[in-house]
Amino acid sequence: MANTLGYGGMTNHLGDIQNSKCVFIIGANPAVAHPVGMVHILRAKELGAKIISVDPHYSRTATKADLYARIRPGTDIAFMYGMIRYIIKNNLHDKEYIKNRVYGFEETIKEAEHYTPEVVEDITGVPAKLMIEITETMARAKPATLIYNQGLTQHSVGTGNTRQTAILQLLLGNLGKPGGGCNILRGHDNVQGASDMSNLAHSLPGYYGLSEGAWKYFCNNWKVDYKWMQSRFKTPEMLHKTGYSVATWRFGVLEEKNAKNNSGTMIRGMMNIGSGLSSISLTDVTKKAMEKLELCVIVDPYVNDMAAIADMKNDLFMLPAASQIETSGTVTATNRATQWRNQVIEPMYECKTDHEILFELAKRIGFYDEMVRAMGDGKGNFKWPEDATREYTQAIRSIGLQGVTPERLKAQSDNWHMFDTKTLRGKGPFKGEYFGLPWPCWSEKHTGTPILYNIDAPVMEGGMGFRTRWTPTAPNGESLLSEVALEGTKSGVKGHDHITAANIEALTGVKLTDKEKEIVKGKTWSTDTSNILVDKALAAGLCPFGNGKARTHVWEWIDQVPKHREPLHSPRPDLIAKYPTYKDKENHYRAFIQYESRQNEKVWAKEFPMQLLTGRLVSHLGTGTESRAAIYLAEIAPEPLLEIHPDKGLELGLRDGDMVWIYGTNGLRIKVKSKFSLRVGYDTASMPYTFSGVFQGESIVGRYPKGLEPYALGEGSNTIISYGFDIVTTTPETKCTLCRIEKA
Amino acid sequence: MSEALSNRGLNRRKFLKMSAIAGAVGATSALGADQAKVIRPANAQELKEKYPNSKKVRTICTYCSVGCGLEAEVVNGVWVRQEPAVDHPISLGGHCCKGADMIDRVRGEKRLRYPMERVNGEWKRISWDDAFTKIGNKMKQLRDKYGPDSMMYLGSSKVSGEQSYYIRKFAAFYGTNNIDTIARI
Repeated sequence: MANTLGYGGMTNHLGDIQNSKCVFIIGANPAVAHPVGMVHILRAKELGAKIISVDPHYSRTATKADLYARIRPGTDIAFMYGMIRYIIKNNLHDKEYIKNRVYGFEETIKEAEHYTPEVVEDITGVPAKLMIEITETMARAKPATLIYNQGLTQHSVGTGNTRQTAILQLLLGNLGKPGGGCNILRGHDNVQGASDMSNLAHSLPGYYGLSEGAWKYFCNNWKVDYKWMQSRFKTPEMLHKTGYSVATWRFGVLEEKNAKNNSGTMIRGMMNIGSGLSSISLTDVTKKAMEKLELCVIVDPYVNDMAAIADMKNDLFMLPAASQIETSGTVTATNRATQWRNQVIEPMYECKTDHEILFELAKRIGFYDEMVRAMGDGKGNFKWPEDATREYTQAIRSIGLQGVTPERLKAQSDNWHMFDTKTLRGKGPFKGEYFGLPWPCWSEKHTGTPILYNIDAPVMEGGMGFRTRWTPTAPNGESLLSEVALEGTKSGVKGHDHITAANIEALTGVKLTDKEKEIVKGKTWSTDTSNILVDKALAAGLCPFGNGKARTHVWEWIDQVPKHREPLHSPRPDLIAKYPTYKDKENHYRAFIQYESRQNEKVWAKEFPMQLLTGRLVSHLGTGTESRAAIYLAEIAPEPLLEIHPDKGLELGLRDGDMVWIYGTNGLRIKVKSKFSLRVGYDTASMPYTFSGVFQGESIVGRYPKGLEPYALGEGSNTIISYGFDIVTTTPETKCTLCRIEKA
Repeated sequence: MSEALSNRGLNRRKFLKMSAIAGAVGATSALGADQAKVIRPANAQELKEKYPNSKKVRTICTYCSVGCGLEAEVVNGVWVRQEPAVDHPISLGGHCCKGADMIDRVRGEKRLRYPMERVNGEWKRISWDDAFTKIGNKMKQLRDKYGPDSMMYLGSSKVSGEQSYYIRKFAAFYGTNNIDTIARI
């Protein structure tokens, strides 16, 4: 998404969905995963919007849809190419929008040519007639919004899937419009915040990356010497090498061949702060990795289920964390909007806040003074969390956090009744702000940006084109600058490069004073902490990150345009030769990751003829660490149930409610109760992934501290989810799993 | 019903009875308060104003990324009652069952209460000081012996922005890019 549009976030917001005439939902189930978000979708429906659901599982969201297509898992790119081809053949695309704001569409058209309705029907299993009806409905609705979630991202082609949603919306001219957009509904409460802070192996905070420039910028912000920072790493080069990801670190513990990517060492210690480890596929690999560690520290308000699944005899520490209700700070929702979360009570029992735990450990290891130097007086006297809020918002200019201050957020929180639900625009004293100051929020006078890439609003009210994140000219010589100006641009500039000290005067027509020139020398809009460059750009009505074209053609990637590729474990082995997966990757987030060697290891579908879908339940979130330990939520969903088609059940000799074994492609099996259901197709079965407490048919309750096991127990599906990782991000391919089901 | 549920001393009938009372006084107050005290009819005064000197705190649900508002009522440092925020611009007074149960995420009986270490396959209670010393020493030792890339740090999308930023800093200052989180997924 970021490589097509400029940023990776949700483009619009939940209330804005009410402005839609068509809500196209693919790979998402908001009725279950975001129940309160679903309210806005239902309001759109009441206002006449058509709802479309494309999902292998007839989900609760699908029950509210006007059109539903049961798609084969892992074929979303092909499905959307079918739509794209039909749109172009029938002249339903927005030609002026594409000419003005999109680069590389010829490549998309070329690729789409292959995906005739018949080809798409064969790959996806969706009847051509239905695909066409869906396309007609969406293409003729102005505006239409597109919603996706982890049903699209958790694939070996996950990155291609999400790009394809952007391409489809660009084609229809729906990006940057109220009621339009590509709206990813993300998972946890602060998942956008955690991304923005870059708890990510490939980047420093704010997606600045790991280049020398990025490290120098942050060392400057952190008030530490760059040379000193280099000395902290094994070698200076390691500063710039992407680390292990949440999915690949396990191979860093278990497979010696990966040590060469990790400055010659295996992973020997792991500290996990509030992450649901069993929500990643291959639970048994996580288990084995943990059992081999010399140090494992788990920080959580509840017992993290991996602490019980892994049979560690020693070296495992569980530290009781205070919940987020027992501390205060910022939380950034899926729509890039930040709220101030007030502390309600002091931490219970002996629990400590996560930052206290980090600070104390930093003291013991010996870098505490350096780590907190950017807060308060620099000598360890600071006010938490406000000083930390200011520290990160003033550093992270790449997504425009500099206008977000604790004072503004607190005032909004005290007055949240003063904001419009459909536009998020404030009233009265807040009329110059949108709720949550959705980023980018370029200065303390900026409103925040409720809708990304909207050129019909002036920059001070959140207007912007696409980001010129790339060179202003493509390798083929074509310009990547927009051909239309942003609303309210004073200087008559249309498309332009991102703002730098070198181009600011030419673009804005304003002369900088000698003093200003000295301050901004060598800086850009995202590294000038004085905000002079940004302020001058805003005054001229220009967007600091430029006004560029979206690119549907990403020339530096393996798949320059998205391509359908069969999942590693494909139920259609006959299609593998035509749509093969990628080559194996030697160093993918420091680990050797299999693609084609796994796909071709055997004809998986012969031994494992069914596809297993996994998803969420309303009452449980993530691994269920918290919610299954909640007495009333456990009552609602006390155990996992495997939804299986009655015809298939009959064939397997099952009666509704029988226990079954599900065998996975990794040689493991889990035991769950069956539930006959028409929500799944004949060849698919579906279960929640949110359980634990039983591992391969055996209770592991004995490994919990006495009395602290959750109320709701059961097998977690990730024990048998098939191997496979996204080619760009290493997100596990949990959504394309083959299995075999037998009566237990 | 799972073994754990049937053994936990709260059967469905009792739950329904509680729910019925909950209907009379507002779901969250009944579910939030001490069970022994709650299973009786609320009187008129209580229905009107149960906690006359309470402090009301606006805060945000900690479950999903919608960002629903909620109103916590606090008496002498104890969270006694929870109400949905009817005028919150995103949640509009709505809650799912998880959000409505927020108060019990704090007070639930299954919470970890003190640091623990697994010793020869058994959980042992230890002091914070002990925990910090042992963990700190080991992290230092791994760093000295094998280099900082011998550690893996996993952050969270369930902590605040400030804490998240400091988790990222912690890994950098330790000397590794082996820092990641479920936000990738």
